[in-house]
Amino acid sequence: MKGAAKARGRPSPGFPISGAGAAPIMSYSVNVRQHRGLALTTAATFDKVEKTYKTGLFGRGGVAAVRGVTLTVPAGGVFGLLGPNRAGKTTLVKLLLSLSAPTAGTVTRLGQPLDQRSTLGRVGYMHENHAFPRYLTASELLAFYGGLSAVPSAELDGRVEKLLERVGLADRKSEPIARFSKGMVQRLGLAQALVNNPDLLVLDEPTEGLDLSGRQLLREVVREFKAAGKTVLLVSHVLPEVQELCDRVAVLVAGKVVHQGPLADLLKDAKTGKERALEGALKPIYERHDKGGAA
Amino acid sequence: MTHYPDAIRTVRWMVRDTFRQSVATKLFWAMLGLTLLCAAFCFGITVEGAIERPRHPAELPTYLPKGQKTPEVVAEGVRVADGKVTLGYGLFEYPVTKNKTDSVRVILIWLAGVVADTVGVLLALLWTAGFLPTFLEPAAVTVLLAKPAPRWAVLAGKYLGVVLFVALQSMLFVGATWFATGAATGVWDGTYWFAVPLLVVNFAVFYAVSALLAVCTRSTVVSVFGTLLFWLLCWAMNFTHHKLAAEEVPGTTRAAGVLVQVGYWTLPKPLDLGGIFFDAMKAEEYATPIPELAAAKARGSFHPELAVVTSLVFAAAALAVAGYEFRHMDY
Repeated sequence: MKGAAKARGRPSPGFPISGAGAAPIMSYSVNVRQHRGLALTTAATFDKVEKTYKTGLFGRGGVAAVRGVTLTVPAGGVFGLLGPNRAGKTTLVKLLLSLSAPTAGTVTRLGQPLDQRSTLGRVGYMHENHAFPRYLTASELLAFYGGLSAVPSAELDGRVEKLLERVGLADRKSEPIARFSKGMVQRLGLAQALVNNPDLLVLDEPTEGLDLSGRQLLREVVREFKAAGKTVLLVSHVLPEVQELCDRVAVLVAGKVVHQGPLADLLKDAKTGKERALEGALKPIYERHDKGGAA
Repeated sequence: MTHYPDAIRTVRWMVRDTFRQSVATKLFWAMLGLTLLCAAFCFGITVEGAIERPRHPAELPTYLPKGQKTPEVVAEGVRVADGKVTLGYGLFEYPVTKNKTDSVRVILIWLAGVVADTVGVLLALLWTAGFLPTFLEPAAVTVLLAKPAPRWAVLAGKYLGVVLFVALQSMLFVGATWFATGAATGVWDGTYWFAVPLLVVNFAVFYAVSALLAVCTRSTVVSVFGTLLFWLLCWAMNFTHHKLAAEEVPGTTRAAGVLVQVGYWTLPKPLDLGGIFFDAMKAEEYATPIPELAAAKARGSFHPELAVVTSLVFAAAALAVAGYEFRHMDY
């Protein structure tokens, strides 16, 4: 409770006005862990986690999506979650966000067990296929998600305005989302993920549908989070993006973690000691471990 | 683990969102339009020639039909129904069966008990049945469920929002038709306002079933048709129970009798809820009673309080199951 109270009293992010030379999204660069007085060293942990989705009549069948995953996402920095399709990456994200419950094992989020849903107020989440309520306008949508995330009402309007400026939608703030293109919805998705000024930002295939400037914006946001000592969990198939942004990565294949550690380790060829492209590093790992795949 | 301020905040935002949805999807205006149509209809009611006079407490509320008005009857001081009721600004007319107040009350009973409580509740169920399934689509709800909002509060907030929306529309309907009828005829019957709780309770009970179906199937079609079928089942069960209580129905086995008893006491009771409203309006004095309901009353098997309580308990149980299911659902 004490931590939560402190969290409410934290400084507002100085969401800047977009345009040339825009200031960073996080106007303060104090390490969040120190700022809140929390001895938080991990943003998320997965301990022997399994997830089997029930299938068939009365759920008698099952598909194993995650098999005995033990993984630590350290606090601060950008953590990449890589793997081929159906490797279980999105399932791990859903477990972390309490969208699904693990079949076995333990997951913690910002140092707390998953049943502490209040920690979700310090998490931002953006995924590739948003289907926001089409009857809401951009500003109504951000106010709605901000309200649900316990953003104080006194701060909410100002924060919404700044975020809409930041993602380039200020001039469309009063239009229903039904009129938005996919790229605009993605920008709005990014804004809603930031509306509660999160400590942990979870991005699941975030650049899907974004144009060049949208991708640039997303990179800026990730860098600003990193500079502020916050954590970004990035799930992406866009390897140059991962290579550019991530500090550490975990590679999942068929529901199992087959590699985790600093990205630099993965980029260095163990035999020759030479630098290599991420794609070249991942290909043999995928081939070696992918025997049948997972959901 | 539920953090109650989170739950209250969630319910508040969900209620607000539901009202916004009803306005943006034009549902609010469609229902308001129907209300205005009904109010316009009421404004066109006139009652002519029906002389109103105070009734003696011991006097039987009976009149002779207009056709039997003979000089002898008039000489004996027997009251004879006289005058006419016109509807649709004079387009239709029929003779007054009793006095002016009761003639207007019959129209109000039809408006609340048939138009609003049957057609209105069914339309409201039909139009709002899509709210929850579309809201619960995985692509739509995952971002919301990743917020610190308890899942049960999300569902409860959406349910409460729809019920409050229908409550507002019920008040507008009853208020507008009451005012228009009063202005047109001079009969201001306050008991007509009992229609508001009747409509709200009736809708709330059946919308709980709609919510349960929406959570379990996430299908608007199943939610709509499932709720309509359930509504029909409840009416049938309610009628059958009173019919069996009133008279011996040939061919009814003991097992069927027990089944009807269990079904009646378990399921919501729309006929009984309507009966409470009819009683409040003192409908037995001027309108033809529903035979099954009248028989149940005569036999003492009509329990208005229990009808309300058991209907609400059913709704609460349906909502609790929906909440449990939603809480444990994988997205």
